Amino acid sequence: MQIAVSGGKGGTGKSTVAVNLAIALRGYFDLALADLDVEAPNDHILLGVELQNEEPVNMFMPRFNYSKCIKCRKCAEVCEENAIITMKDGTPFLMPTLCSGCRACEIVCPVTGAILEGQKLIGHTYITETPYEFSLVTGKLLEGEERAMPIVTAAKRRARSLNKELLLVDTAAGTSNTVSKALEDSKLLIAVTEPTPLGLHDLALILELARLMNIEAWVVINRSDLGEKEGIEKIAQKYNAEIVAEIPYSEAIIRSYVKGEPIVLADSKEAEIFKDLAEKIANYMG
Amino acid sequence: MQIAIASGKGGVGKSSVAASLIYLLKDGYSLIAVDADADAPNLHLLFGVERWEEKREIIGAKIAKINSETCIKCGICAERCPYDCIKLVDGVYKVNELTCEGCGVCKLVCPVEGVITLEEVRSGIIQKTTTKYGFPLISAQLDVGRPNSGKLVTEEKEWAKRIMKEEGIEHMIVDSAAGIGCQVIASLGGADVAILVAEPTPASLSDVKRVYKVVQHFREPAYLIINKADLNPEFKGLYEFAEEEGIPIIGEIPYDRAVPKSMAMLKPVVEAFPESKASKALREIAEVVKEQILR
Repeated sequence: MQIAVSGGKGGTGKSTVAVNLAIALRGYFDLALADLDVEAPNDHILLGVELQNEEPVNMFMPRFNYSKCIKCRKCAEVCEENAIITMKDGTPFLMPTLCSGCRACEIVCPVTGAILEGQKLIGHTYITETPYEFSLVTGKLLEGEERAMPIVTAAKRRARSLNKELLLVDTAAGTSNTVSKALEDSKLLIAVTEPTPLGLHDLALILELARLMNIEAWVVINRSDLGEKEGIEKIAQKYNAEIVAEIPYSEAIIRSYVKGEPIVLADSKEAEIFKDLAEKIANYMG
Repeated sequence: MQIAIASGKGGVGKSSVAASLIYLLKDGYSLIAVDADADAPNLHLLFGVERWEEKREIIGAKIAKINSETCIKCGICAERCPYDCIKLVDGVYKVNELTCEGCGVCKLVCPVEGVITLEEVRSGIIQKTTTKYGFPLISAQLDVGRPNSGKLVTEEKEWAKRIMKEEGIEHMIVDSAAGIGCQVIASLGGADVAILVAEPTPASLSDVKRVYKVVQHFREPAYLIINKADLNPEFKGLYEFAEEEGIPIIGEIPYDRAVPKSMAMLKPVVEAFPESKASKALREIAEVVKEQILR
């Protein structure tokens, strides 16, 4: 089973909700948390742990064996990213920054051994044991690399290999296809938003994505006392998404966030909000 | 001059800082604003934009399609898809259109000619308006579930450059997306200067360090603005980072409820609440930007 925490806009509190929910849900499920915001992974910082068990994510890059290449140009023709250019005589060259590692060139090359296996490190995945009885899987894109999708895919595969009863995924901001990849196979999406015009705009997008993916969506309003909730209620109603929790602006949450001590562990009213939500999720997931 | 504003982490106030700086610079300088957060654009909201003058559809994303009538269900496509996008659903192989990267591997490995095709789809729109403040704004919106938003940002910047030429505009201010991926790389590429916005939290420090590595890759001078600076007085990480890397801190903005309030009013805080603490800090920052960056 899988649940996702997302929210469209950055900084609405996705990661705060994800780590606190993970802790609150451990009483109900044997679970893992996957941080799939590979451009800016922060769940380990919020949990106060150092990333462990690093595994490289290498991307295939063609290496041309010019003694075997017959200069047929098929590799260049098939490359959707235009990463392979050919000289006048057909000699291929790779522009590494454009290559997406899809292997299309290798597949069409008619000569065995003319395209060799080259690799480029584009990021890492980690499995970190937390002090809270669940494992954290993290994907982290290397700085300067553009392609988040292979990291999200690799982190998700690694998370699945743990064979946990429940996988809770924390996605990146936005609604691009890397977010859809993170959401894929979720039974439930927890959309975190704030009651501002900006939050509203992005909530509509993430609920639209959930609809397209046939994922049940619930809404959590963070900093709920900040603005007007009517807009959020309207959008939620339009997408048939229940508003399941409201978290008021809280100095205690900010302090816990800064210290890497999740608020759900404190004896506070904020902790109760996450515990109630966890119970509701557990009942829904059965 | 092209200035890119970036933060790594979302929600640290990049767009609200950008909107206020643009508002404060608009009178003395000719500028164009580019919202390069194609996933979640919001500068137009902060400038109260109500209508767009021109919209352009950007076609370019490719999505694989499987013809279930002629498919022999061998499953090779699903096995070879680098991103696990093809699944057997109700007895037929289907491409998940919301996660497909359009690489075409499935089409190449399919043993039956013509079963799998790559179709061009819309990746999103870019649009232009003249704000009520007089300067033009270019914004983008990636369609839900589409790949390669970097391309959208590149198109936006090309459009902005043409407008600059036509109208004799001197400066482009780019508000980039969160993260360090293709959109951010497209935002920073070609910029003369990067202004980084961070808040005093370990998460923001971690992310701003990551985006700074991308800035270094482009060999661009960087400046740092600390937002919500009084949120966490014990946290010295941002100062240490700036000192180690030799990044000038061009201002500190205190946490101020006037900022979210101004957002709800769809105005930059310096316009909505000019006497607030945040606005005072932002005006000082604008002076530093004028003296040190725009000169």
